[in-house]
Amino acid sequence: MATPEISWIAILPELVLALGAAGVLLVEVQWKPKATVLGGIAGVALVLAAAFSIAQWVQAGDAVEVGTPGNLVVFSGLVVMDGLAVFGRFGLLAVTGFGLLAGWRYIEGLGRRGAETIALVLLATAGFSIMVAANNLVMMFLGLEVGSIALYVLAGMSRERARSDEAAIKYFLLGSFASALFIYGVALLYAGTGEFEILGMRRFLSQFVVFSPAVILIGLGMVIVGLGFKVSAAPFHSWAPDVYQGAPAGLVGYMAAMAKIAGFVAIARILLTGLSSLDANWLPIVAGIAVLSMTAGSVLALVQEDVRRMLAYSGVAHAGFIMTGVVGGSTEGVLFYLVVYALQLVGSFAVVAVVSGAANSESDLGAYRGLGRRSPRLAGSFTVLLLGMAGLPVTSGFIAKFGVFAQAWSSGFEWLVVVAVVASVIAFAFYLRIIVAMYMDEGDAEGVEVPGTIGWVLAAAVGTTILWGILPGSLLRLAANALPL
Amino acid sequence: MLTWLILLPVVGTAVIALIPRRRTELHLPLGTALSILPLALAIYVFYVFKPVPGYQFTEFQPWYEPWSIAWNLGIDGISMPMVLLTTILVPIALGASTRITDRTKEFVLYTLLLEAGMIGVFLSLDLFLFFVFFEAILIPMYFIIGIWGSERRVYAAMKFFIYTAFGSALMLAGIIALAITHSQQFGTTSFALFDLMNLELGLGAERWLFAAFALAFAIKVPLFPLHTWLPDAHTEAPTAGSVLLAGVLLKLGTYGLLRFNLSLFPEASVDAIWIMGILAVVGIVYGAAVAIVQPDLKKLVAYSSVSHLGFIVLGTFALTSGGLQGAVIQNVNHGLTTGALFLLVGMIYDRRHTKQIAEFGGLQKVMPIYAGFFLFMIFASIGLPGLNGFVGEFLVLVGSYTTLPVLAIVAASGVILAAIYLLWAYERVFTGIPDKDENKVLSDLSVREVSLLAPLATLVLLLGLYPNILLDKIAPSTEAVLDHIEASTDYVVPEPGRLGDVLVAKPLMAEGD
Repeated sequence: MATPEISWIAILPELVLALGAAGVLLVEVQWKPKATVLGGIAGVALVLAAAFSIAQWVQAGDAVEVGTPGNLVVFSGLVVMDGLAVFGRFGLLAVTGFGLLAGWRYIEGLGRRGAETIALVLLATAGFSIMVAANNLVMMFLGLEVGSIALYVLAGMSRERARSDEAAIKYFLLGSFASALFIYGVALLYAGTGEFEILGMRRFLSQFVVFSPAVILIGLGMVIVGLGFKVSAAPFHSWAPDVYQGAPAGLVGYMAAMAKIAGFVAIARILLTGLSSLDANWLPIVAGIAVLSMTAGSVLALVQEDVRRMLAYSGVAHAGFIMTGVVGGSTEGVLFYLVVYALQLVGSFAVVAVVSGAANSESDLGAYRGLGRRSPRLAGSFTVLLLGMAGLPVTSGFIAKFGVFAQAWSSGFEWLVVVAVVASVIAFAFYLRIIVAMYMDEGDAEGVEVPGTIGWVLAAAVGTTILWGILPGSLLRLAANALPL
Repeated sequence: MLTWLILLPVVGTAVIALIPRRRTELHLPLGTALSILPLALAIYVFYVFKPVPGYQFTEFQPWYEPWSIAWNLGIDGISMPMVLLTTILVPIALGASTRITDRTKEFVLYTLLLEAGMIGVFLSLDLFLFFVFFEAILIPMYFIIGIWGSERRVYAAMKFFIYTAFGSALMLAGIIALAITHSQQFGTTSFALFDLMNLELGLGAERWLFAAFALAFAIKVPLFPLHTWLPDAHTEAPTAGSVLLAGVLLKLGTYGLLRFNLSLFPEASVDAIWIMGILAVVGIVYGAAVAIVQPDLKKLVAYSSVSHLGFIVLGTFALTSGGLQGAVIQNVNHGLTTGALFLLVGMIYDRRHTKQIAEFGGLQKVMPIYAGFFLFMIFASIGLPGLNGFVGEFLVLVGSYTTLPVLAIVAASGVILAAIYLLWAYERVFTGIPDKDENKVLSDLSVREVSLLAPLATLVLLLGLYPNILLDKIAPSTEAVLDHIEASTDYVVPEPGRLGDVLVAKPLMAEGD
């Protein structure tokens, strides 16, 4: 057996990220520099990873143009360099960059442990990045675990807070359970098809008639459940509110957005390419999860008194909306939605981090009373982000929702769209509750100073929310071209 | 040019946004001045507007081609009066807001954004674009009610938002359905109104879609029994909010029914004549009956809106020339008179900090100019011949008598009820001797307040005496709507429903009187 050829370009982004993580730790041990230096290293790693991703994007475009897409499957089928992978990674890198900026004050406050945090963030990104590019399901599992374990640790970073410990334990236990389900599902899929590779499964299913697909279907179900945990879709969402509430405010946005992007790209890749011929079997499951997530998320968010828990349940609802896009059968709407939502999520938690303060205290709705008067810019940014997540027009959230709804409608899931539009109206109510607290309640919320790094994050999140709401083409075109193989 | 109608208020917001927050004395005057610009442009559009069917000054710019959404604007005889009304009311509403001293900058910003959105709704010929404007309007209005309203403002703002958002959410599903049906029948998706008018929907689907659109618009109008948000929103909103809410926002519903339901779903519209007509008439009578017993002056005007807007819906679904023209011109009339009435209520509230009718009495002696304006607007609202309300209600009643005679007769009672609740309110507030000490020292209207009311009063009189200045430009477009319905269904407008019938056989008109 010949040595498999090594296509460096395919894994350079992940390599750079992993090296960056190692570099941060080594530099810390050797020179004990200021946190800014470590941040600089992380920044360089992210920029390099993005640059290599652009090279991949060009290569993917060329290969599709000359009709040799097979060249994009490298490392003996472990990794692909298709548009979906590159677009997904871009999303992850952007979220990482903004996530580090949003959490920078927290990281600085950690002192010497800041280096660990930065390294863990880079490692998580490397893991999820390999997950979105994986063609082999075992490879995908490895990426998932590298990313998830880093997130478990990050959730428990604030060791002095009991809630943070609780969050880490809960996240770890339920997350490992989900990972176990996923890998068991992969094993069953292998038993049924004889393939670990997603493209191989598609080949197998198109060539052979499977007489007793029970094994495949159970495997498929377990994979969906496992990934459903990661993206906090109902009924697998029970960890999300506690983790969002307990984990360090500066990092929650990053953690949640990463899991959403990676999880949904994986779901789209497995269901829409590998097992697309079994759609008669998985469509009802995914549609059911979508309905549950949208309704449960929206309704439960209504009764929360804590902004972080509210955002957690809103995340459950958003998982449902994105599932609607998966039901629609195209990656375009899903990818657009993911990027738009991820940036709004990071921005929102940046606001939460500012309001909760360096003390990382609780984020009760009461803390937001009267914020509109005391910190008009901060409240204004949060308002735009909330309206964006609510999906009101002139924000990117509306375009995103419209995209997935239209897709689901054209694939014949009219009823799902009707449920979805009703759920989004219920969701308006709790986004409005936060806005009411900020602008219409008189409160003693103190004016807060917005650190410069968070100012940048908010500018980017608010800017893209409005930009893509008015000129969605700039991102939609990319999402439409980011096709899986 | 139409783009500028939408952009001028947006430019206005940009200018206001640049003024520092501490220069509070500048925001309101500058905002009012800036809102004159769209008015000037709208008057110019009115002036050069030709009385022909079809859209004029159309603009088309692809927005995102793969979805075939486009910046597609145009104006016709149905939307032109609405644009004019919007641009007239916004400067007046801003001018009436001197009592707003808290966060003035934001208030002006939201009002100008609201104006841009409202004009956008009336000019959009692309359903996607239309929906964007239609829904975007909720945000500034929500803040206007919620921040500057009275005690129960948060509740009212939330109710307003959720009610209307719920209706439009289902309409969004309807819009998606239309665009996808277009791609199934013609190969490409399209959101353009012209394209979607030619779809073969099938009666079943058409009825569902009609219902989805009608629900959104019926909540906005609001049509009985979906009106419960309106009294709350009106009572709690600041004066400017009430003026724009009654003057323009409610008209989005009646405009939508006329523009979209009739054109997109002609078959279902013809089927729905009776349902919509009955709902409209129930609204007329119910709104009037409830208005009679209101102890709160502002709530009384709010319920009178429910009643008056019933006339517009009745006229729309009468599907005759008179009905449609009456509906369009009554949109304008109601905006002018009810807008003015809300201004007047706001002015007395500024002085006495109460809107309870029982608190007043004998104001005629103390504030003669105020009483004069109030009586004038009441007469316009009742439909006294020679004032604008008469023209609209008369046309609606004549038009609906042809197709829905029973309903027209019942609706006519709404005119009498209007006289009862409005004149009775006038009697209690203005006549007699001022017995309360607070009422004896009230100052009459200032020059500023008169200058806000005078333009509205002038227009009320102008449209009452010479309605053709507007009707001539409306008629070709409403006739085109009827032509489209006749061409795409078996429906034939019964004689003498068409404009031609009336012009040839004048005596028949007397019967409908």
